[in-house]
Amino acid sequence: MRVAICSSFVPFIHGGGRFIVEWLATKLRESGHQVEAVYLPFVEINEQILPQFLSYRLMDLSQNVDRLITIRAPAHLIPHPNKKVWFIHHIRLFYDLWESPYRKFPDDERHRGLRRQIMEADQTALREARQVFTNSQVVSRRLQTYNKIESEVLYPPLLEPERFHCREYGDEVVYLSRVEHHKRQHLLIEAFRYVKTPVKLRLCGVSSNSSYVLQLRLQITRHQLLGRVSFENRWVSEEEKSELLAGALCSAYLPQDEDSYGYPSLESSSAEKAVLTTTDSGGVTELVKDRYNGRVVEPEPKALASAIDELYENRELARQMGQAARLRLTELNINWDHVLTRLLS
Amino acid sequence: MKVLVVNSLAPFLHGGAEELANNLVQNLNRYGAEAELLRIPFSWDPAERLLEEMLICRQFQLWNVDRVIALRFPAYLVPFQRKTLWILHQFRQAYDLYDAGQSHLASDARGTVIREAIRTADNNCFAEARHLFTNSPVTAERLKRYNGFDSVVLRPPLNDPELFAGDNPGNYIFAGGRINSGKRQHLLVEAMSRVKSSVNLVIAGPPDQPGDAATLRELVARHNLGDRVTLDLGLLSRHKIAGYVNGALACAYLPFDEDSFGYVTMEACQAGKPMITSSDSGGVLDLILHEDTGMVCEPDAGSLAEAIDRLAHDRNLSRRLGDNARNRWLSLNLTWERTVERLLS
Repeated sequence: MRVAICSSFVPFIHGGGRFIVEWLATKLRESGHQVEAVYLPFVEINEQILPQFLSYRLMDLSQNVDRLITIRAPAHLIPHPNKKVWFIHHIRLFYDLWESPYRKFPDDERHRGLRRQIMEADQTALREARQVFTNSQVVSRRLQTYNKIESEVLYPPLLEPERFHCREYGDEVVYLSRVEHHKRQHLLIEAFRYVKTPVKLRLCGVSSNSSYVLQLRLQITRHQLLGRVSFENRWVSEEEKSELLAGALCSAYLPQDEDSYGYPSLESSSAEKAVLTTTDSGGVTELVKDRYNGRVVEPEPKALASAIDELYENRELARQMGQAARLRLTELNINWDHVLTRLLS
Repeated sequence: MKVLVVNSLAPFLHGGAEELANNLVQNLNRYGAEAELLRIPFSWDPAERLLEEMLICRQFQLWNVDRVIALRFPAYLVPFQRKTLWILHQFRQAYDLYDAGQSHLASDARGTVIREAIRTADNNCFAEARHLFTNSPVTAERLKRYNGFDSVVLRPPLNDPELFAGDNPGNYIFAGGRINSGKRQHLLVEAMSRVKSSVNLVIAGPPDQPGDAATLRELVARHNLGDRVTLDLGLLSRHKIAGYVNGALACAYLPFDEDSFGYVTMEACQAGKPMITSSDSGGVLDLILHEDTGMVCEPDAGSLAEAIDRLAHDRNLSRRLGDNARNRWLSLNLTWERTVERLLS
């Protein structure tokens, strides 16, 4: 089958939306399909949203393409008689973030009009699709609430989960993710002021926010945690990530209200490591069930500290939850065979 | 410096222009820039679509980009201040192919409006460019004739010259490149039905349409040439292609009025093989001179058969032409390092 995967991008910005495209393309090619992966530009500047929508909407991919799969908005606006949408998020300022401090423009007639037009365009294009999938229940609920569109959750797998393995349940909690304020590395550092066991913390990842990096460093020094908490603001290779997870006690992933479970929790689960997360982490709690494959605690330093101490003192518990974490991936059908079957049917 | 290379995309058609774009990105990255490729889908049938296609490109917004190097219509219309244009070809159906009666644009009022719109958009785009490069004297001449713009010829280098080291000449003529009626591989098959020597023919490359493959297969069957003509149809690895070239007695390439040398020509010359081409093959003739670096035939089966027989019988002649072809090509000294330097100047 000749499959076109279309998504939007900002040149030179490498977000999670690219992995899903690249990995899907790789897997489709491996199963013998011909694939074009197409990224088209999109910037969220209010005056430019509708003109850019027009570009997507006018596009003709009907010749030569048997199946269109769209990923990041507004790629779903591209018409095709055989379109499947794998929807990963709305243009959120005009949807769930409308009533949030993130919206910097007024709630006036002009912006409400723009909001209405965006919603109508989305709705029309989504209704044309043969099927709409999402990457999480959170996004499915939003599609239902705002667009009255039924969708099926299709969890995005890792490209090569077999790269991850478990060697032991050591004495380190690892947080391997981009270092950004909404990922809340600061909350975990704060928790380490209250841990009672000699457990350690390792934070690793790149950041787009140098002042947050500085803030974390100051926090570690101020609370005299240098011996306990290591923080490396750098890119971590796939090999190194796999090594760090193989020896960890458990992993942590505490984003604030994330749409999906996030690749760090999948990597941890593939390495048979329990995931420590918080009740307000959004999509992560679709994957992590408290005391089954990890811990879901209040976003409070003391609650996190006591969860960490418990796992350190009871390695058998860490092992049980780690093994359940791996099992959970099977239970939720997080694998490429399933994804390909659903997207090509 | 963040350099976005912009090209148009016809899904699943992969030829010299696509190779060039990929290699340009790789070499920009190699020689110090940060480069990425944007491919904007392009569909030109029916003719009315051309207006929409231009509109699509004009509505896109590029952010987080320092430089744009744009290659083909209509993708080069994307708005950006002072683009560098490296024009591989214009939309020829609106220009020289129209004059040659090979355009799908009608000569009525509607067709004229579309052609005028294309010319106006082109002219505006060329007028605001930082640099206007073309890939060949043919393209430069057309740009001057139809649009009145002067350009600098910047010929694309060969991407993997090390693969084309040449080897002892075997007993076959090799015809590589994309397969379609404009490249006229069918003339070679017909020539084979008249060839008197025992030489064989290998045609290898990706057919543009399934029909292009069927036509060739049928022709081979009709002339009963199954044991003398090999059809290796599909997208082949660079190593496979180089193997065919290196072991050939001669190479053949018969495009109608090609804009540039063509990769097929450059590869044959690099490998020291004489090239059989046609008097109406355009840019190929800048490198291939009759009985100097190859054989320039009339575009008919009889003339081609004669040339093939001469090269097969007179091995001294074919060796001399092959050596000349290599020397002439190498004397042009085209490298990626120098090309990148000029594009970023």
